[in-house]
Amino acid sequence: MKHRIPVTVAALAAATILMTAPAFAQGGAGVKGSANAAWKAPRGADGHADLSGTWTNATSVPVERPKELGAKEFYTPEEMAANAKKAADRAAAQAAQAEGGDLAVHYDTNQFSLTGASQKRAPSMRTSLITGPEGRVPPLLPAAQKRQAARPRSTFDSYETRPLAERCYFWPNEGPPMMPVGYNSNLQIIQGPGFVAIEQEMIHDVRIIPTDGRPHLPSNIRQWFGDARGHWEGDTLVVETTNFTDRNPFRGSSDQMKVVEKFTRSSPDSVVYEFTVTDPATWEKSWSAEIQMSKIDGGLYEYACHEGNYGMANILSGARADEAAAAAKK
Amino acid sequence: MKKLAILAVGTALFLSAVPLWAHHAFAAEFDAKKPVKLRGTVTRFEMINPHSWLHIDVKGPDGKTTEWMVEGGSPNALFRRGININTVPVGTEILVDGYQAKDGANRAVGSDLTFPDGKRLFMGSSSPDSPDANRSK
Repeated sequence: MKHRIPVTVAALAAATILMTAPAFAQGGAGVKGSANAAWKAPRGADGHADLSGTWTNATSVPVERPKELGAKEFYTPEEMAANAKKAADRAAAQAAQAEGGDLAVHYDTNQFSLTGASQKRAPSMRTSLITGPEGRVPPLLPAAQKRQAARPRSTFDSYETRPLAERCYFWPNEGPPMMPVGYNSNLQIIQGPGFVAIEQEMIHDVRIIPTDGRPHLPSNIRQWFGDARGHWEGDTLVVETTNFTDRNPFRGSSDQMKVVEKFTRSSPDSVVYEFTVTDPATWEKSWSAEIQMSKIDGGLYEYACHEGNYGMANILSGARADEAAAAAKK
Repeated sequence: MKKLAILAVGTALFLSAVPLWAHHAFAAEFDAKKPVKLRGTVTRFEMINPHSWLHIDVKGPDGKTTEWMVEGGSPNALFRRGININTVPVGTEILVDGYQAKDGANRAVGSDLTFPDGKRLFMGSSSPDSPDANRSK
């Protein structure tokens, strides 16, 4: 009896993974529009393709392509099936390893749908979110490396020197460009005449994107999330963001970064999100990525990050305790 | 044989290869070398961001009561796993397995909770980072 649970669960997890594999193969997911070319997106209140809803951008595709895959942008259906089997075997091995320990049942996360295999994610045959033959963020230019090295380091001296994420300013997933995040990787799109608003659950900020044709802000006005302007190209919403500050770099970017995002409703259940990042002060050339978003039920839960950040005080007092212990040793 | 009547809930912290605890590192706030086992009565459950906090009164061997605060996962992560404010009502007797704050205060990160009937609840804390293997059986 003791052995039964993890093994059963591992088998179930394996079945779940394996069952989803044929779907990748049939849909050819990962290539925009290929799943159902004849499908036409419903219209929103503004007459454009309707992007509104609650979506998850959770994915099992890594941002950068594993180096050994070279220029290979997509797995074949056979490779997908082999990968799924490998993941299932790994899950089974982990379950078997946990068996016999205190955590055997309690932390068998497969059992209660807590693993990646059971979270809703769009199927994709991509080998990396970053598209193209490189599949990786280009190396930083020498000037950008120097700039990065000169940035102030976070320390435990004060809350002011802790990382922005810890201080509840924002998390790096928020972008733009918007990236998947470890948990609650959800966002809501609301669309109306002249504006599209996007709220990301982590960590609560709302992007308000004018689509009424107004020009960008003057270049001397710099904002944490930049200055976004949207327009429609057919059924695709195109958002161009400029006017970033130099204080929240995205993978080493400068305030000269420009991000162009494209949102295309590709089926009743999905939106294809593509972006291209350009920053001549940071990278030799632009780079692009594609993320599939899946519709999820319900709205977002509020994540008012700073309503009770006891953690910050505890972190600082923990550092003081460490310092006192180190001083006592001397 | 292990109890099968288990209420195991957790957060989405496990869900991907992205760093488990993006908000802050376990080691910045808690000490993996100070595991604690606290038996107490729930006096308050704060479902606040970025972390929930469970307050318990712990009675020592001398009969004296001390107040402890136990950190758990973010409310939105807990909600999605079926935990709400009524899951751990005030007055509930509870056993907390966790790790104490580095500064030695009566604060801990909750690894998991055990109810009097043996049901267990995973609080979605940052403690999966810490050594679990040697915990008592």
